[in-house]
Amino acid sequence: MKTLSALTRREFIQRSSVATAAVAAPLILPSGLRGAGAPSKKIAVGVVGCGNISDSHFPALLGYPESVRILGVCDVDRERREASAARVNREYGTSDCKAYADFRELHARPDIDAIFVCTPDHWHALVAIDAMRNGKDVYVEKPLTLTIAEGRALVAAARKYNRVAQHGTQHRSMKRFHDVAEFVRNNGLGKLERIECFIPPNNRHVGATWKPEPVPAGFDWDMWLGPAPWRPFTAQGYHYNFRFISDCAYGQVTNWGAHYLDIGQWALDMDNSGPVAVEGHGEFPSTGLFTNATKVDFTVWYPNGIPMHCRTRYEGGGTSRFVGERGWLDIARDKMSASDPNLLREMQAAGKKIQLPLSNNHHENFFECVRTRKHPIADVELGHRTTTVCNLGQISMVLGRKLKWDPAREEFVGDDVANRLRGRAMRSPWSLT
Amino acid sequence: MASADSRPAGTTAATRNAADRKSNAGTTPDPWEMCAKLEYGADRSFAWAVQQQVVQTPPEGRARLEERLLKSLAQPNCTEAGRAFLCRMLAMVGSAKSVPPLAALLRDVRTTEAARYALEPIPGPEVDAALRDALGALTGPAKAGLIGSIARRRDAAARGALVAIKDNAAEPPLVRQAATRALECIGSTQA
Repeated sequence: MKTLSALTRREFIQRSSVATAAVAAPLILPSGLRGAGAPSKKIAVGVVGCGNISDSHFPALLGYPESVRILGVCDVDRERREASAARVNREYGTSDCKAYADFRELHARPDIDAIFVCTPDHWHALVAIDAMRNGKDVYVEKPLTLTIAEGRALVAAARKYNRVAQHGTQHRSMKRFHDVAEFVRNNGLGKLERIECFIPPNNRHVGATWKPEPVPAGFDWDMWLGPAPWRPFTAQGYHYNFRFISDCAYGQVTNWGAHYLDIGQWALDMDNSGPVAVEGHGEFPSTGLFTNATKVDFTVWYPNGIPMHCRTRYEGGGTSRFVGERGWLDIARDKMSASDPNLLREMQAAGKKIQLPLSNNHHENFFECVRTRKHPIADVELGHRTTTVCNLGQISMVLGRKLKWDPAREEFVGDDVANRLRGRAMRSPWSLT
Repeated sequence: MASADSRPAGTTAATRNAADRKSNAGTTPDPWEMCAKLEYGADRSFAWAVQQQVVQTPPEGRARLEERLLKSLAQPNCTEAGRAFLCRMLAMVGSAKSVPPLAALLRDVRTTEAARYALEPIPGPEVDAALRDALGALTGPAKAGLIGSIARRRDAAARGALVAIKDNAAEPPLVRQAATRALECIGSTQA
């Protein structure tokens, strides 16, 4: 392994899948691990948002009992936060993990080092910025933010407060995706012609109308909405389904697009920049609770002329296909294929001119950086750039026209309406400032 | 098959078309009126039709669109959901012309959120002035949100008012904190 994680030696060795690498690396501690942030001090973690996303984090976070400790969980749903706290305390055999209804109380604790932001998308920016303002490092689930303006504000906060901020695009820490991005970057496919991303379909099925319902006991609906425009409660529109309502998320464009478009950005060396044009023609429901596109179809073009398409695929999961003059490569979480098996063999060959940073575990990479103060593998700048690509697609589909984008100024060229959609006013009392 | 057309023979096609238009106008709801009556959870297809006009109309037609949106917003039976929808549309195509009616809504705590949603992205000093003027009309969380919009717009002319709020011990902590952060935001722009 190229990097040393924040784990204790014992944890590291136990978890390593490559024994030789494991015994070779952790015997040498970088200087950063011998100072104030030495491994003897456990990293104290808080988790904001106790839904299905945090459920995928808890097993990993609980797996480092000697170096990472979850001391607080937060959710506006009493049942969920209490269940999550009980789960953590049961695992540790203690009662140290406290449950909070308001993230600001959790952030105010001086003994918390890092916050995992696992809320619905419309809360990502505010929770992460508040955490960093309070001196916490953050791991922010994807998409980094709901809007482009929020993303830029989040990155600015990370720099202003000098915080480690990891975007939750764990494909960046999966060797398969790393290898493809590196192979493409080294012209392994010859001249790249295009990238085709497919994402799962949007929107569960609901009717043309819906009825406001009483808010469940123990659930703070006003806080759940937070900066989003007010609407009455309906059980069809909060846990998980929030992502199909554009006040809170942009559906699979950001849910899966944040992963698959991200690898395109990586392969194209666009982590600090982005496309220069976008054209989208999605299909949106004309009535009903859900407002995000039922059919996603947009293309972004990069400065070198290469297009990256993003489309809904109604059967099968997400994939990215890289097409070049030597053939194509398909990559998904669970599989990889190519037009020619030799391409896959060449991909594994050593000695590539351009070598991309390698992380084999997104959590470990984050904790390592918490200790060393280095930028993580999916630093929020690149997370913001990828989330911007998602936003470009969304805005172009909403407007139904081709748009020019200036990635340096982060503004559309010659389209005032599109520029206004880069951000939105937040409901009181919330603000990005 | 016998024709059901009861119009006198000999009428021209143009006359018949004009009569059809007049007749249909009375039987088909006007989406611009219907979207103002929108209710949460109800069929929103009329609002969708209006939205499609808003996003698809080229720049030269947006002044006319804005007029229609403001006319709908001014309907006495405009609902909360209808107002929120119309303000979303004005957020995309509103201009200085929208400021007076939106400024009136901004000062009322019952309608301030929708109005601010529309006003924040509209460029121009008229909006800045309307936001500053509303500082004296709102209190508590609504005032904190208003200050946030002023900060996002980097309105340096609001600095004096924000300093006064920051230093006013009678203001709730939420509002004073919002003013403090707004001043940091506006100040950093000038640096």
